[in-house]
Amino acid sequence: MVDEVKLKKIVGAGNVSANPEVLESYAGDMSFVNAVRPECVVKPRNADEVDKIVKLARETLTPLVPVSSGTPHFRGDTVPGAGGAVIVDMSGMKKIIRVDRENRVAMFEPGVTFGELIPAVTKEGLRLNMPLVPRKTKSVAASMLEREPVVMPKYHWDIADPLNCVEIYFGNGSMFRTGAAAGPGNLEEQWVAGGAQVEAAGPSSNSWYRIIQGSQGTMGIVTWASARCEILPELEEPFLVGSSQLDKVMDMLHWLVRLRLANECFAVNNTVLAALMAKKWPDDYYDIREGLPAWIIFYNLAGYEYLPEERVKGQVEDAIDIAQKVGVEPVQAIGKISADDLLKAVQNPSGEPYWKLRYKGACQDILFLTIYDKLPELIRAMYEMVEEAGYANSDLGIYIQPIVQGSNVHCEFNLFYDPENRREADRVKELAGRATRELMARGAFFSRPYAENTLDIMNRDTATVNTLKKVKSILDPDNIMNPGKLCF
Amino acid sequence: MALEDLRNEMETCRRCSACKFIPLEKVDNYEHVNVCPSIARYDFHTYSAGGRMVFAVAKLEDRIDYSDKLLEVVYNCQMCGACDVSCKYAMDMEVMEPLYEFRIRCVEDGQTLPALDKVINSLRKQGTMVPGAKAKRGAWAEGLDIKDVTKEKVKVLYHVGCRTSYDKDLWKVAKATVSLLSKAGVDVGIAGAEEVCCGGRAYQMGYKDDFLKQAEQNLETFRKSGAEILVTSCAEGYQAFKVLYDKYGMQPDIEVLHITEYLDRLITEGRLKPKKKVNMRVTYHDPCYLGRLGEPYIHWEGREIPGHIRVFDPPKEFRRGTYGVYEPPRDVLKSIPGLKLTEMDRIKEYAWCCGAGGGVCDSNPDYAMWTARERISEAESTGAEAMVTACPWCEKTFDDAIRESGSSLKLYDVVELLDKAV
Amino acid sequence: MALNRDFYKAVEDVLGPEYISDDPVVTESYSFPIRAATAGPKGEYLPRFEAITLPKNTREVQAIVKLCNKYKVQFKASSTGWLYSDPAGPDCIKIDLRRMNSILEINEKNMYAVVEPYVIYAQLQAELMKRGLNCNVTGAGSNCSALPLAAHVNLGHLSQTGSYGERNQLALEWVTGDGEIVRMGSLGSSDEWFCGDGPGPSLRGIIRGNTVPLGGLGVFTAAAQKVYHWPGPPTFSIEGVCPHYSPSELPPGFMIRYLSFKTVDAMIEAVRKIGESEIGFELMGFNAAMMASNVATDNEEDLRYFKQFSDQVQGPGFMVNIAATSQRDFKYKKRVLEMIMEQTDALSLKDVEDPKLGAGFLWRFIRTVGSIRETSRATGWGGGTVGGTDVFPLMTRYIMYTVDLKQELIDKGMILDDAIYPFVQSIEHGHTGHGEILIRYAPTNAEQMDNIQGFLNRAANKRAIEGRFGVPQHVWSDELHDMYGPEACNYHMLLRKIKKTFDPNGASESSNYITAKDV
Repeated sequence: MVDEVKLKKIVGAGNVSANPEVLESYAGDMSFVNAVRPECVVKPRNADEVDKIVKLARETLTPLVPVSSGTPHFRGDTVPGAGGAVIVDMSGMKKIIRVDRENRVAMFEPGVTFGELIPAVTKEGLRLNMPLVPRKTKSVAASMLEREPVVMPKYHWDIADPLNCVEIYFGNGSMFRTGAAAGPGNLEEQWVAGGAQVEAAGPSSNSWYRIIQGSQGTMGIVTWASARCEILPELEEPFLVGSSQLDKVMDMLHWLVRLRLANECFAVNNTVLAALMAKKWPDDYYDIREGLPAWIIFYNLAGYEYLPEERVKGQVEDAIDIAQKVGVEPVQAIGKISADDLLKAVQNPSGEPYWKLRYKGACQDILFLTIYDKLPELIRAMYEMVEEAGYANSDLGIYIQPIVQGSNVHCEFNLFYDPENRREADRVKELAGRATRELMARGAFFSRPYAENTLDIMNRDTATVNTLKKVKSILDPDNIMNPGKLCF
Repeated sequence: MALEDLRNEMETCRRCSACKFIPLEKVDNYEHVNVCPSIARYDFHTYSAGGRMVFAVAKLEDRIDYSDKLLEVVYNCQMCGACDVSCKYAMDMEVMEPLYEFRIRCVEDGQTLPALDKVINSLRKQGTMVPGAKAKRGAWAEGLDIKDVTKEKVKVLYHVGCRTSYDKDLWKVAKATVSLLSKAGVDVGIAGAEEVCCGGRAYQMGYKDDFLKQAEQNLETFRKSGAEILVTSCAEGYQAFKVLYDKYGMQPDIEVLHITEYLDRLITEGRLKPKKKVNMRVTYHDPCYLGRLGEPYIHWEGREIPGHIRVFDPPKEFRRGTYGVYEPPRDVLKSIPGLKLTEMDRIKEYAWCCGAGGGVCDSNPDYAMWTARERISEAESTGAEAMVTACPWCEKTFDDAIRESGSSLKLYDVVELLDKAV
Repeated sequence: MALNRDFYKAVEDVLGPEYISDDPVVTESYSFPIRAATAGPKGEYLPRFEAITLPKNTREVQAIVKLCNKYKVQFKASSTGWLYSDPAGPDCIKIDLRRMNSILEINEKNMYAVVEPYVIYAQLQAELMKRGLNCNVTGAGSNCSALPLAAHVNLGHLSQTGSYGERNQLALEWVTGDGEIVRMGSLGSSDEWFCGDGPGPSLRGIIRGNTVPLGGLGVFTAAAQKVYHWPGPPTFSIEGVCPHYSPSELPPGFMIRYLSFKTVDAMIEAVRKIGESEIGFELMGFNAAMMASNVATDNEEDLRYFKQFSDQVQGPGFMVNIAATSQRDFKYKKRVLEMIMEQTDALSLKDVEDPKLGAGFLWRFIRTVGSIRETSRATGWGGGTVGGTDVFPLMTRYIMYTVDLKQELIDKGMILDDAIYPFVQSIEHGHTGHGEILIRYAPTNAEQMDNIQGFLNRAANKRAIEGRFGVPQHVWSDELHDMYGPEACNYHMLLRKIKKTFDPNGASESSNYITAKDV
């Protein structure tokens, strides 16, 4: 067990807490993972303090659980998986280190949220490739480290994007910077030379950032991240496409992404769109939902420095050509939803409360990757399970996000429920577990396993588990980093 | 040029593997990308031209010695020249020349295969590469009224070739040839039993001295015939007369044409008029020795200019297969009413070999057959009813392969189809 | 040294006698065609493989690897084997993956293709083009393996819009150095090839970075890669006879230009603008020498074209081509390119504007057939040095330093004078870039080669470290990793641990990767 006195010496007394209420707030989250109370919460202010915390934890084999985002947490990855854990809460590390217009990159500490980073990059004429309306307290670094899908598939060249480089303190006590950031030279020297910590791969024949992503803090603690940015458009013209037919939706998405026409580009069902856009609850929500077709595609066309009007005009017409071939019609509004309003919504984090919580207070997500050919079957299967579970299928949210420039499809089912209603909560918990297992059996790939379904997911691939354990033994041989997560 | 003199050529190999594939600009699909039958069959890099360059240098340096394996690799090559073409798409280096010289060296050092020795014995004794008696060489012409060039002068000397002369299944091609020439009013004659092998196959196998002896004999026959034009329906014969004799300073004082070239000329001149319909979907197979290897020889003597780029004084023009006989056979086919020509994937300078050349049909008939069957399959993939070619060795090999595989593909010589149309 | 006969017999039992050989004719032919002149002061040649094996499938590869571990024999796997495929010492066999040559899947809707190692890029691209798709052919050429882990880096001419191997790769099947089979991502969990990452962390991170292990970390037996939309024709109609091929026309929607600039900064600015406006399909910073070699069909013509093109360039430059998805798209992109040309004072090489010549360049760049001509035709030998992949301006500035080194060698008459402009390329619309300096020369002896290539290596490494230019892609071998590692967060120690963990017996010959020494 780590000595709180020593922790206080590192971070200052005010940044260590063993207050029961505080501990309770980290003991569980909105997932169904079992609550485990940490020993204390420590809030480092800089990388040096993180370094010292890790070294101290190694001495006493104290589990460390890194946290960057503010509450509420959703996926169980920040709830301790073992007793005696120390929460390392970096949500207070909010430095935006650098924004580089020429090299289209921003560098920032883990506590920086989307709401904080967006104005900083906007000032330089840049923008982020964001997940779908993240919560206000969500850390940008955490989002990228979780490989959250982003809404601009055109700029999603690799599943790791938009993450570039990170600085990390591994569980083995060493500091490492990934990609171009590794060196030669420290960051300042690299900047003087013209470096900008953009190349994520390397150095040489490894790409450690990929091991750090998706690891749920089980390899080390990240103290800054750099992210690829895109240019802020000079002109944007968003559209909506409504359809009751999933195959048309997939076709339209495929071509918008394949021809790299659209920036933001995704599809949701009416439940999700209503939940996203409703302002007054519950009437607004039901009103909106009833006015929407089963599926809605959102896409945004953009022009930049050169002849933006001409570019957008051409793209609008090209998109219409595609739509005609597919048999759908792009419009600027459907029901009570305007494309402009939705564009505003997706280019910013959520207001409070987080949009997923507004309907019923809680939301369990089932998220996986698949391909177009498999998607209809998986959605059908989910609806069947929803019905069998007695869950109202009109309450099932579905979000379809082409990612990696269309080579993968992220599919997310949102199960909204009232956390105060025990029966409802239990139903959703069971449904989520069953759905995960059955969808997996039908080929859905749960690349980001969380909480209580983790072992089911990991155990499908023992070779990967064995390999990950070997990697873990290099980076965190004492297993102090978030033990009990994934397969560790 | 001796093998030692080609060392710089061999060492220029950069191990890029281009010699294994058809010229990459021409790859249109996954299926027909291989161009070298040897490595396609045997898979070890050793069997590719690139592999051969390396072990040839190793032999020069005595790092390897003659062995059964070495001979097996050396002679499991049809000497089809495809590697040379593919390599020279990008490189200025000789590939075929080292392959020829390596075989010549093997023969000089007494390192041969019994099967090939047997063939050469037949050549020495009977003047033929195909089993048969010298006296019977003209048997195919019995009953036909054709001039004998040993007795009278002619304008056009028709060299029939060993394969056709001694293979009853192919006599129809010789007869059709003569029929067409007669219809065109050509003053043509043959040497009959006095005709001897061109020597080309012997050269491919490395028996250079035997080849030279054959050349001398043939030059004498040409001279005595008084002919202005020499036509042959054998691609290897064509290449021997047109290219190899020239290479060794023995260019015959006679215009050398493949029969398809001559027939194309006759059609153009209006002396042959294909009028009868031959309704058939066909595909044409380019014989290696008529196509890429039939390109005229380029004499060059000079030196490589020392420096950081291989240029020569005087400038050296490499033979790259560009000027082989590709269009005349196609033009002949296109002149036949009702005939529809569809091309295979591997054609002209990057055609897949029939499998017969280089002595392979004698030293490794199974490999020859494998090679031929690949081509049959490619021909079938075009949807053609028949494959047409212009060389008796190709025809013999394909015929065997069609029978062995149970394919329903028909097989013709260009001459046969034209004869039907005239 | 003779191979353990029990080992040989065991491998023969797995493969069949036809697919293994230790005959000297065979093993000799697998050595890189090094010349006597370059064989070292004592005439030492590179070590030879003890035997060559030709497995047909992953199971056979695994069996060979396990036997190697058991009998303490090293192995080195390769596909087409152009460079970096030789052993460093005895007791090493070759795993030649030639028989593993199938395209396993092409998924048109999700735009990925799955190949075994001996599918060459020409094959894959030809099949994709028929389906309205394209792949980023590795820069070495379409004669090379289409596996995104087979090439040194797998950058390619299409990197502007088609990224490169480190990022294009999806799921992967890997036989580790100790003979385990790991199927990454969706392949391991759901037998699908579309994703190489997870569950949890992505194991793609341990098997490559911006370079690959070059045979030093087991065998990669199949991989999926992203492919891209192809707006062109299903096939290019090519006229002519080898080597004088030429497309019959420039397809509609395509345009190609070679632009040169007065200064490097102007070129960098043009690259930035073209990237940010997203108009370039391909953007490759060839120099006049490479352009000349690309089109010329022999060395004499090469020299003539070089003079002709050199007279038409004003400084460093690049080839850019546009491939539009519609007429409107083409009109827009063309107009923007013209604006950028004006703004950066770009000079367009007139010859490339000629539709016939331009079409030829376009097709040769798309099919990537020029590399052999550009690097090897001069003397069959060449070299140079490369940078890494990081922001384009940084990579360009680094390679401009090596240009000075090249000038030194030219001034001493030690290499071909084909001018000093580097080769640079833009990746993902200019987010990153890469640079190389290529040299051509006639090797005469080991000392001469060290004075050329060794000099270049030493000076470039020193500059890369002192100038903070990142870890270049030529960094492999213990020696170089030991040099760069301490300057870059001791990455080499992690790399060694990966090597030790996944190849505990050092069965993968890793002279072009890293060894597990000191671990």
